[in-house]
Amino acid sequence: MGKNNRRNLKSIMAKGERELTGYIRRIPAIYISLLLLFIIIVVFVSINRSFLSVYNLKTIGNLTSILLTVGLGQGLVIMTGGIDLSVGGIISLISVVYLLGLKTFGYLSFFIALIAACGAGFLNGIIYTKAKIPSFVCTLGTGGIFVSITYLLSEAPISVPPRHFHYLDVVNGSALGIENGWLIALLVTGCYFILQKYTYMGRTIYSIGSNERMSWMSGIDVRRSKVYAFILSGLGAGVSGIILASNLYSGSAIFGDLYVLESIAVVVVGGTAITGGAGGILNTVVGALIMSVFKNGMTVIGIDVYAQQTFLGVLIIIAVAITFDRSKVMVVK
Amino acid sequence: MNGLPVIDMKAINKTFPGVKALENIDFRVQENEIVGLVGENGAGKSTLMKVLIGLYREDNGEIILRGEKVIIGDPREAAQMGVGMVFQEGCLLPNLTVAENLFLCQEHIFRNKGLLSVSEMIKVAEQQLKRVELEVNPRAYVRDLTQACRQMVEIVRLLWLSSISGVENPVLILDEPTTVLVSNEIERLFSILRHLKKETSIIFISHRLEEVVELSDRVVILKDGKKIAELPRDDAQIRKIQMLMVGHELAEEYYKESEQTQPGREKVIEVEGLEIRGKFEPADFSVRSGEIVSLVGVLGSGKEEVCRCICGVLRADAGKVKINGKEIKIDSPKDAIRAGIGYIPSDRRDEGLALQMDVMSNISLIVLRDMIRAGFLQVAKERKETSFWVEHCRIKTPSLKTLCNNLSGGNQQKIVLAKWLAARVKVLILDHPTRGIDVGAKEEIYRRIRMLASEGMAIILMSDTLEEDIGLCNRMLIMKDGKITGEISCPVEDKPTPVDIISYMV
Repeated sequence: MGKNNRRNLKSIMAKGERELTGYIRRIPAIYISLLLLFIIIVVFVSINRSFLSVYNLKTIGNLTSILLTVGLGQGLVIMTGGIDLSVGGIISLISVVYLLGLKTFGYLSFFIALIAACGAGFLNGIIYTKAKIPSFVCTLGTGGIFVSITYLLSEAPISVPPRHFHYLDVVNGSALGIENGWLIALLVTGCYFILQKYTYMGRTIYSIGSNERMSWMSGIDVRRSKVYAFILSGLGAGVSGIILASNLYSGSAIFGDLYVLESIAVVVVGGTAITGGAGGILNTVVGALIMSVFKNGMTVIGIDVYAQQTFLGVLIIIAVAITFDRSKVMVVK
Repeated sequence: MNGLPVIDMKAINKTFPGVKALENIDFRVQENEIVGLVGENGAGKSTLMKVLIGLYREDNGEIILRGEKVIIGDPREAAQMGVGMVFQEGCLLPNLTVAENLFLCQEHIFRNKGLLSVSEMIKVAEQQLKRVELEVNPRAYVRDLTQACRQMVEIVRLLWLSSISGVENPVLILDEPTTVLVSNEIERLFSILRHLKKETSIIFISHRLEEVVELSDRVVILKDGKKIAELPRDDAQIRKIQMLMVGHELAEEYYKESEQTQPGREKVIEVEGLEIRGKFEPADFSVRSGEIVSLVGVLGSGKEEVCRCICGVLRADAGKVKINGKEIKIDSPKDAIRAGIGYIPSDRRDEGLALQMDVMSNISLIVLRDMIRAGFLQVAKERKETSFWVEHCRIKTPSLKTLCNNLSGGNQQKIVLAKWLAARVKVLILDHPTRGIDVGAKEEIYRRIRMLASEGMAIILMSDTLEEDIGLCNRMLIMKDGKITGEISCPVEDKPTPVDIISYMV
């Protein structure tokens, strides 16, 4: 009898936990992410008022623009069930290409850099689909190649001579009262949102992530959609690289390192499933805000730089644990 | 029956968002009894069983196991209390051996000085397998076993789990165990189940009513989440059960033979010398507009491969396919769809639809391109088009945005059908369209097939039972060992009997 009681108690406890989390998970992931963002902001503001200062908000905005643009593309690739580890390499490459281009092409360098970014993404997509190797491995390889090319273009970090500063106003200026960089990020977000929801390719990306074999059997050109997702990922990383280079007035082969994992974190913290087929652009937007607010806030309230990574790691794990919509995903890998 | 039931579920209720899945269900199983559980898809059979093994938690009601009120947290706990379920899809790991699968997660029993004693595991496995007279090497990998063997291994595993927890007379739940078996395997399964009955109770779920009636001591019938009848063995006639399940008298002619139409004159699809070496030999046949042609043959006869080849899933080594007299090149499903060939696969979950996507996105997937104007998707058009098909195919769904995962198998199948009808194909290949769906939904599918034929579609059918093939088709092609060996016409007034046909097949 005693044994039975204990067994019952255990199952009751297990049930309680299951019902609570079950209840939370019935709410769409995006609302939970938004709530999490709100809580984080409240906590930081209550600890240090200067968190809301104009200067600090500007810092957060800049960081968000960088994380968001790279995260949006990464999000599309993740939705197809793949992953793009080369975004770091692309960010570095584009930061250097953009600044090198300023000397000869001036404002046009912006577009040249974007084309290069799309080219890098296209290369990823082609290698991935033609060689039929996992995207993880493929982009691990190409990421290294992009960094290597960056070094070949310029051994040392590039800095922008003051006479060229005006070119960087494309990003650093503020045409409509707010930073141009933010406007660019907003524009990219809007485009990606429409692309994903209201175009053929965007819809196929979602269906491939949900069930690749079924999509193929329904006549969808799976390879083409995947290449498309990788091009958009390259483009997002490219925009990110341009904003980063403009903000810092320099470009370097190590700039992108940090953003490989952070772009993935941005996507999953927003509630997109790493296995594909669930999530969306808006999830990535909220994810980018959470990540940038949290990273900035830790500095503002004076958390030790070396301890920050720990807190960030904990945040990512907690955020994914509560937002990840398991009802849509059968196997957690 | 001796006194206390092994399982006594009382007034079980379970609600899912928008659906009342179970309503005040009382369900009892006696010792050494085989209970047949039947009902249409979505009637609540699986839900009830999932409550019983702890996959779902009932909203209210109680479960009494061997006289003691219990709360079952998960399938592992259920197994320890002597209740186990063999799922339709099976849940063995193909890359492990039989013995490793049998003792999965219980390996600690065989621990000897910190390491696992493999010889001990093999020995116990052999003993256990003997209980069901299964001649299989415990060292064999599960991926090399037949479906029938796998089922047996699962049954043995459940028996063993309850025996190590010290439970006598465990309860086995078998969810449509016969769908994946061929007839002699089914007979074997039944004889083993009858044998096991001496030491267990069995709950048997199946859509094949003949089997339920043959095997069960008692039949419980669910409809729309309610228990509507409970028939003792002597009272369980197929006709009666069907009526109770559907809720109204079934049409006398099940396959709607009177609606069978004369095929048109023009050949919609012509297959000439189509071949995949090692799978099937050059095949020649054609299907006229409005004609239903059945491909029949035993498993491995090559009929599946022929169909998969026509629709571009498999690549042909040689041969031609002509649509309306024009030769087409088929390298992928995309080419086949463009030429107007549709294929409704038997495996809904992997090939038919995306369960995590909503009804609308699933139905509009193939025709999405037609809904693009100036590069952008016209959502209003998509909504209009899909709601038309939802209504047309009588898909029961709370909304267009409902995830397919939350719908019953029959409705999922109707969605797959709707998806291909929306694509307005000229040739439709139906690969076991009624597999695993209930009587009511089957009737609906038959009605639909007749309607499509009368509208002039060319239909190639592979079906679950010979009766279904005979009842539905105009003409029958018989395949054996990769060759088309015979052709039998099946006009309404002169349908052959299954016996006539079996002689051609084997």
